[in-house]
Formats: sequence, C-alpha cells, structure tokens
Amino acid sequence: MEQEQRKFTGEGGHRIWILAVLGLVCIGLEVVVHLTLRTAVGYTHIFYILLVLSALWYHHKALFIAGGLVCATLATSLFVGDLTWATILRAAMFLVITWIVATISDERDRARRMLQEQKEEIEKKHYALVGYISEAALRMKNPLEMLRDNLTSMRVQLDQGPDIEELKMMLSVQITHLEQIIGNFRELNREIVEERDEIPEAFREFLTR
Amino acid sequence: METQFDIGRLGQEKLFLVLSSAERLRQNNIRVIKTLIGRGYRVVVITTNQPSAILKKHYAAEGIDMGKVTFIDAITKYAIGRIPEGETDTKFVNSPSNLTDLGIAITEVLNPASGEKTCLLFDSISTMLIYLPSIHISKFIHFVTSKLRLLDVPGIFLAVEKGIDPLLLTQLTTYVDDVIDMDKPPGILGPDGKSPGT
Repeated sequence: MEQEQRKFTGEGGHRIWILAVLGLVCIGLEVVVHLTLRTAVGYTHIFYILLVLSALWYHHKALFIAGGLVCATLATSLFVGDLTWATILRAAMFLVITWIVATISDERDRARRMLQEQKEEIEKKHYALVGYISEAALRMKNPLEMLRDNLTSMRVQLDQGPDIEELKMMLSVQITHLEQIIGNFRELNREIVEERDEIPEAFREFLTR
Repeated sequence: METQFDIGRLGQEKLFLVLSSAERLRQNNIRVIKTLIGRGYRVVVITTNQPSAILKKHYAAEGIDMGKVTFIDAITKYAIGRIPEGETDTKFVNSPSNLTDLGIAITEVLNPASGEKTCLLFDSISTMLIYLPSIHISKFIHFVTSKLRLLDVPGIFLAVEKGIDPLLLTQLTTYVDDVIDMDKPPGILGPDGKSPGT
C-alpha cells in the first residue's frame, strides 16, 4: 500500500504522470491523424518515446503499453481500411523494441543492485573488523598497563620485605590475566586472518596458533 | 580534607564512575573506602583485580575498620583455583566473566535489611575488560546500577582513566549520576568525564 502510494507521490510519481501524458498524446494522434486525417504516416514515431521510457522505467511491464498501442493501431487501421503488411510490421516493432529496451534495462538494474549489495557487504565487514580491532585493542592495552602496574607494585614489595604468600597469590592473578590477554590476542588474529584472504596459509596458521 | 574530592556529593547523588590512573588505582580505592566508612557506610567491595585477602591486608594496614567492609571476590578462585582458608565473610565467584553468579552475589549481599547504610564499590571495570567484551560489561553495569537505584543504594565504579574507549565511557556515564576523576583537582565534571571548559 505504502509502496503504491509512493509510486504516485514520491520518486516514481512523476514517471507515471509523464507516461500518462505521453499515452494521451499517442491516443490523440491516433484519433486525430489516423481516424480524422486518414493518414498513417509519421505520427507513430512519437509512440517510441512512450515505449522506450516505459521500458526503461518499468521493464517488461511496458509490454502491456506496447500491446495497447498495437491494439489501437490495428483497430484504427481496420476502421479506416488501410490495414497492410506495413501496419502489421509497425505494430510488431512496437513490441520488439519495447522488449529489447526492457530486457537491457532489467539487466542493467540487476547488475547495479548486485554491485550495491556487494559494496554494502564489504562496508559491513570492514566496519565490523574496525570495531573488532578497536575492541580488542581496548581489551589488551589497558589490561597490560594494569599488569605492568601490578608487577611494579610487587617489585616494590620485594624491596620492603615481601610476604611470600601474598606475592604468590598476586603472581597467580597476573598469570591468569596474561593468559586471558593472550587468548584475546589469538581471537583478534583469527578474526583478521578470516577477513584477509591475501594472507598466506603459513602465516594464517602461525597467527592463529 | 584531601580524600573528600567530589565524593562529598555522595549524599546528593548516588552513582559515580570514578576514574583513576592505573598506577594510583589501589591508593584511590583505599581513599574511596576511607571516605565512605568515614561517612558511616558499610561498603561492599566487588574485586576483579586483586584478591580480597590482599585487599584486606592493605585496608587493615591503612586502619580501615574491616567490620564495615564486605567482599565479593571474582578473581581469587579463578586465579588460584581454590578459596583461601578463613574467608567466610567473603563471597567468591568462579570467574570475572561469570556475570550471572556475580549478579546473584550482588543481590544477596545488598538485600539484607540490616538498616545499615550500604554502598557498593566496584573495582574495577577496566579489569573486567580482560575477560569480557565491552558490550557485555556495559549491559552488566546497567543491570547493577538499575538494581542499586531500586534499592536506593549508592554505588561507585572504579575504572582506569585512559583504559576505556569513548563509546563505553559514554554508555557508562549515562548509567551513573556523575563522573569523578580522582587524579584531577576537585570540580564538577560533565557527562563526558571532563571538567567544564576543558
């Protein structure tokens, strides 16, 4: 519903109106030139503007418009009595040209969509990686600083007559912190290796070991 | 009094993020505890950086009344593999990354209706970053601050000043009432953790 409304009011709205005006012009030409003036020369070239634009914007749906114009041309020719092989050929060309333009437009739009999707996917992965690296840095730099300060404090304690049990306990804590930091670092390496295809296999294995 | 700093506002505001340099973290922890006990609070210390047994020794050496301090220790069992003997007054959690058990321990310690004024001291958010992604820490701190607000209990969250990235810092500052930089002269800090005009 919302999409339908957008067709008439938003980006696609002006297209509908352009095609509607061109459709009216084509019908008018058919009535005035063909029915009234009884000539079929020249005016049908205008039809191609409508057909090409509708095929560009609405792809194969434009074949309905082409079909309508074919019907109108054949009907007026029958009414006027000038239906010849040239009229049939002209009507057939409406359909052929519309189909060709619609197919090319369809292919172009599909390729554009694919490119856009690929670009979005790459950007998403890139931002995820940057976020991950930032998070990993946060989880390594700061803890390492704390570790350094804890070790410094232990070093000072050694000079002041150490409590061996306390030092043992503190050392165990620092080892646990370090093990976790190494684990975090390994995890970061794995993420980077999985992201970058150009890293040789031997280095991949080394980084994630 | 030097130790007062902005903690003097504890009566009006309940939750603080306290930033400290890494090298002064332990001293600042002691200064905060001294101030809180001096104001009649029973302090619940959640430690993820130093074993509670060591903290107890340091507190005792500083003349802090240990009857006023309760510990939730999330590092000793994980680092040493056992609970030290004679630590019956301390709640031990298996690992700093075990937020469920940590949450349960906090709830248990804060719930007793003893009528005492209680304050929670979290030491420290920076150490938690070793064990957990910042998003989990942020959610956990949000859970704890919500609980503290419900129970009308003040809380102080210690963190290393330069160890928190701007995104996490912004999130944490939205959970607390104010930010205190222990290594800066007294003054009211803005939500970004900086003094106005800086």
